[in-house]
Amino acid sequence: MRLLSLILIALLPLPSLAFEDNFLNAQTAYDSGRYAEATLLYENMVSNGISNTEVYYNLANACFKDGDLPTAIQYYRIAWYNAPRDPDIRANLHFALNAAGAIDPAPGFIDRALFSLSVSEWIMVAIGSYLVLMLLLMLALFMKSTRRSILKLCLIPMAATLLAGAGWRQWYQLKSNPEWIVVKTEATALFGPIDNSTAHYKLPLGALVRQTGTDPKGWIEVEYDGKTGWLRRAYLERVSP
Amino acid sequence: MASAFSADVKMSIQPQLISLLDRAVLKVEFIDTTGAAIDFPEIDGLKIQYQGPSTETRIINLKSTRKVVHSYVVTPSKVGDFTIGPVTAKYKGGEKVLSGQLRVIKPEDDKDAQEISELMFSRITTDREAPHIYEPFGLTLKVYIRDGVQIDGNFGIRGGMPESGMDGELQWQVTNRKRQEMNGSIFNVYTLVTTAKTLTAGTFTFQPQVQMNIIVPRQNRRSYGFDDPFFGDFFGRQETRPFVLDCNKLDVEVRPVPMKGRPDSYTGGVGIFDFDVQVGPKKVKAGEPITVRMRIAGKGNIEKITPPLIENSHEFKLYDARTVATGNSDEVLFEQVLIPKSDSVTNVPEITFSYFNTKTTDFRTIKQGPFPVTVEDVPQQGAQVIATVPSTIQQGTTVLGRDIVYLKPMPRIWKTAADSAWYSKRLSRLLLGLPALFLLLISGIAARRNTLANNTALARRQKAPKAARKHIQRAEHALREKDSLAFHAALWDALTEYFGHRLNLPPGEVTQQAVCSRIPQEAETIGTLFETIEQQRYGFGESRNDEMKPLLKQLTATMRTCEKVKL
Repeated sequence: MRLLSLILIALLPLPSLAFEDNFLNAQTAYDSGRYAEATLLYENMVSNGISNTEVYYNLANACFKDGDLPTAIQYYRIAWYNAPRDPDIRANLHFALNAAGAIDPAPGFIDRALFSLSVSEWIMVAIGSYLVLMLLLMLALFMKSTRRSILKLCLIPMAATLLAGAGWRQWYQLKSNPEWIVVKTEATALFGPIDNSTAHYKLPLGALVRQTGTDPKGWIEVEYDGKTGWLRRAYLERVSP
Repeated sequence: MASAFSADVKMSIQPQLISLLDRAVLKVEFIDTTGAAIDFPEIDGLKIQYQGPSTETRIINLKSTRKVVHSYVVTPSKVGDFTIGPVTAKYKGGEKVLSGQLRVIKPEDDKDAQEISELMFSRITTDREAPHIYEPFGLTLKVYIRDGVQIDGNFGIRGGMPESGMDGELQWQVTNRKRQEMNGSIFNVYTLVTTAKTLTAGTFTFQPQVQMNIIVPRQNRRSYGFDDPFFGDFFGRQETRPFVLDCNKLDVEVRPVPMKGRPDSYTGGVGIFDFDVQVGPKKVKAGEPITVRMRIAGKGNIEKITPPLIENSHEFKLYDARTVATGNSDEVLFEQVLIPKSDSVTNVPEITFSYFNTKTTDFRTIKQGPFPVTVEDVPQQGAQVIATVPSTIQQGTTVLGRDIVYLKPMPRIWKTAADSAWYSKRLSRLLLGLPALFLLLISGIAARRNTLANNTALARRQKAPKAARKHIQRAEHALREKDSLAFHAALWDALTEYFGHRLNLPPGEVTQQAVCSRIPQEAETIGTLFETIEQQRYGFGESRNDEMKPLLKQLTATMRTCEKVKL
């Protein structure tokens, strides 16, 4: 029994060692200019369930260098979902969008502020505020002389909880209005969800668009650069989870 | 309000006779029903474009009718008789087959033209057969308009350009206009030019869709009896109609910068350039900065060139190069600060700039230096370095950012998609609920304590059963000991203390009358208990066990009943 346990313990780090090897090999391939090979290695890690931001970012870099701009933008965006304040991800995403001739999504001040923390960070803020609020309320119950001041202090975690709720909702909206990326050339958004509808605007390969509506016949209403138009589903690939 | 009409679908084309330069409006009306827009099949010579839906509600003699109208614009590209449809329109309650006729005739001022492409078209050409990546190449777009067709002179390019790999958007400029004879007809030829540059190698296809507005006399239109709601002003004599011109497809094969013969000092330049370096000051103390200004000027991808590398030496501390704005798009100025560490430095090393020459299609290398400098030794040079470096950097410099940021290092912990965050685990959720539950519990206890402290009657009411229980236990003990006196004394205490607390009576006021008046529904039983216990307490003679037991039972039963009584 003890022997079996020892064998199991010894086997546990194996997958992580394999990932480390993959990661280092991919980096070597990248540094040697073998971008397709680096892409394959990073993709292999992703398909094996690895979801580290660093892997998504490096995969995007390899795709970019390999000339596959839409995939690069897609992975930069996924990395950005996990680490929205990372300057490297933002810089490379901006650079790749620029190279693709696509517009960098520019949300307003409030949206930008709410997107400054990732969904898990907002949840942590909410949990932290909730615990602080509970603690303050308990103190208020016992410390009668300072109850009024403590209750006033409770406004801070309450506000933080509300803010965290707004931040979480902002990310949650990506489920109902997901982000897509244009993966085919000659993508033209139309005014209506039928083939012979009037063309509204062109979408470059690699453009990030936000879904605003759907049609049962396989059309998706997308917003790009402040304009809304209909695009066939085949032109798009979903980016947001 | 009832509906005036039954559900129906109608299709109309207005007008049914148009010229090659005109257009018609097709409408599909769903009357008192709803239906989706129809996807019309393609018809050679006609372009049918969906414009969107609109709704209309009419009330006539308190009866309403509602229409959903899907509008399309029909643009001809050649003359002829056309049948649009048959198409099946499905609506709530049925379906209907629709079709319509449209005749397109030659324009009045050009009887020879059979197709629109004979009147107007565009052609695109390039000045380079196979340019290299980053190498600028010219594109020329000629727009041919048959003499007699009036346009407003504004051109717009609506797509048809490579989707990716281009360096920025193309800016077209109209350079000239001339008349030219082609196939026996006179054309006005407008020339638009631009300069393109690619970020990647490969085949780039250009087929711009030139949109322009032609001016059509309103009289012509009225002669067809056509009232177009989309275009033209109401009172004007002329109106403009947008057209998109046919254009040839131009494939430009962009070659990559060759790997063969690429020198180590190559920094991405493609074109024809000059390289000049200035170093100053020439006489410094150890630890003081020397600024190297590298100017690259010429034609090519000037903005893509990264700074030439200065050979790193242990004798110098090298800072990152920065670009300095010059205001000239044909030159770039890099400024790099290097600091001699000691007085042993005698010169700034040779600086090499290599670029790919698009004229000779090979790599060229330009060398500058070495640059002699005099370095004097001073103590405490480290402090001087820090103090002097910022002053050498001019305002208006920008940090270089011409490539993507390098890879990220290996993460310390591997996360998998299957790993859920700690807060989404069931145990964590349960634990997170504990503080709230604990708070509720504490607040409940505190509220109860507060209430009991402020409400004596309630506090005594709640105390009553407990107080009675204590004396009943005493009575049970006395019963077992067969001590009649103690038994009845305990029962009396239980009775008075229970009702004293239960009815919030002062100790001296717990009498049979006071209790019975407050609990009239149990007055008889309570009265009997008071009398029996009192008699036994102060009476003579011993009670038997079989008399004491029922009395105890009756007392506990009465108190239990009184617990349920609402006062």
